Amino acid sequence: MTGMKGIHRGTLWITALVLAALLLAGCERPEIHRERFFAFGTLVELNVYTRDADLAREGADAVRADLARMHRDWHAWKPGPLQEVNQALARGEAIRADPAVLAPILEARALSLRTEGLFNPAMGRLFALWGFQSDQAAGPPPPQEAVEALLARDPDMADLHMENGRLSTENPAVQLDLGAFAKGYGVHRAVDHLRALGIEHAILNAGGDLRAIGRPGDRPWRIGIRDPDGQGVLAGIEIQGDEAVFTSGDYERYFTHEGVRYHHILDPRTGYPARGSRSVTVIHEDAGLADAASTALFIAGPEHWPRIAARLGVDKVLLLDATGVAHMTPAMAQRVAFRKEPAERRIQALPGDPGPAGGP
Amino acid sequence: MTRGDALVILLAAALVGGAYALLWSPAAPATQVRIVSGEREIARLPLDEPRRLEVPGPAGITVVEIRDGAARCAASPGSRGICQRAGWLRQAGDMAVSLPNHVLIEVLGDTGRFDSINY
Repeated sequence: MTGMKGIHRGTLWITALVLAALLLAGCERPEIHRERFFAFGTLVELNVYTRDADLAREGADAVRADLARMHRDWHAWKPGPLQEVNQALARGEAIRADPAVLAPILEARALSLRTEGLFNPAMGRLFALWGFQSDQAAGPPPPQEAVEALLARDPDMADLHMENGRLSTENPAVQLDLGAFAKGYGVHRAVDHLRALGIEHAILNAGGDLRAIGRPGDRPWRIGIRDPDGQGVLAGIEIQGDEAVFTSGDYERYFTHEGVRYHHILDPRTGYPARGSRSVTVIHEDAGLADAASTALFIAGPEHWPRIAARLGVDKVLLLDATGVAHMTPAMAQRVAFRKEPAERRIQALPGDPGPAGGP
Repeated sequence: MTRGDALVILLAAALVGGAYALLWSPAAPATQVRIVSGEREIARLPLDEPRRLEVPGPAGITVVEIRDGAARCAASPGSRGICQRAGWLRQAGDMAVSLPNHVLIEVLGDTGRFDSINY
């Protein structure tokens, strides 16, 4: 190799190699593969960022099968393992529950205790009384005496005992409904399944609640939080890594009777729809916890949510109250970008958390 | 001011303009409607040709109406009218869903603003 000639040949080779690499990279460019289907009684959307279309399809099939199985196992008012547990509890019998349903029940019990009972999946009878244990609740609201009679029997997750692998309760009013938890728990596990298949970057969204992992290329996942007032987007959140975003809102399921709107988030202390909040959004790495937390904090309301959030170890919360004020933790305030300005922003550190500014 | 200065200012202005267009442009108007029944896409139609479409599902017929660059769920078997209440869908990404009838009506356009919507 001599002087100029050698250099020219080297340049040529390097250029050719770079071009080939670029072309090859272009051929296998990763992209977002999106699948939508109905499962878990709702609309499910899976975004997978990969260069392997077959892998994305395999992931969608796996999620579809997982969610269908979980929906069957955990259904509160259709025949299945959860209904078997409820029937045994109503008869005052101990039951060796199907493992598929035992694990979420025990986790829901632990979470219920941490929310001071505001998330109360033992209130299956209350949800049934209001007609929310049906595909379409139509009202009217139940007679007040019926609600009071049930509250007097005080069904609570603390009444549920686990001994020698058997579930039992001394309170026959306990009927389990995992409605405010099952979707989160299920989404979390379905995404774990995607990971086991080798999918690193995905969002699984079931009826508006989602868990995201990884990132699509060199940017974060972009999530829009829908405005409770309509179709538009209230705020944007960026996610990279592994986080779930769950929202409980009064607009999700409700019926109107004689001009009054009754939504599905029932306060176990009053037996009536919780007042004071319009929606609560929680970001947390555990989707099951995020699901239960959004319900519990909605019920806790604009005054008491920080105490419950602290007990749950949830530091990213956005609560939109009935007057349009956005209550936020400092960590959430840093993450959320409003597209529509709320009536007021109120940032509140959680008890025991001095917050970024030092605090009292 | 030298020609170099002018060039730098011009480039900076172009950069700001480009970033503005990329990041802050208003929601894109939709151009197409996509209709999914069950797990199958049954139609993808332009929004500039008026028409009505009957989509059968497990609960009955969902009627989709397309007019003036928008689509809507004109009728659907759900007793609470959630599908119809979504109104006219104009912005890319807007959708109306009939859960009892397993029908999804979604309008598409040139937008990549959000990967997923939380509600």
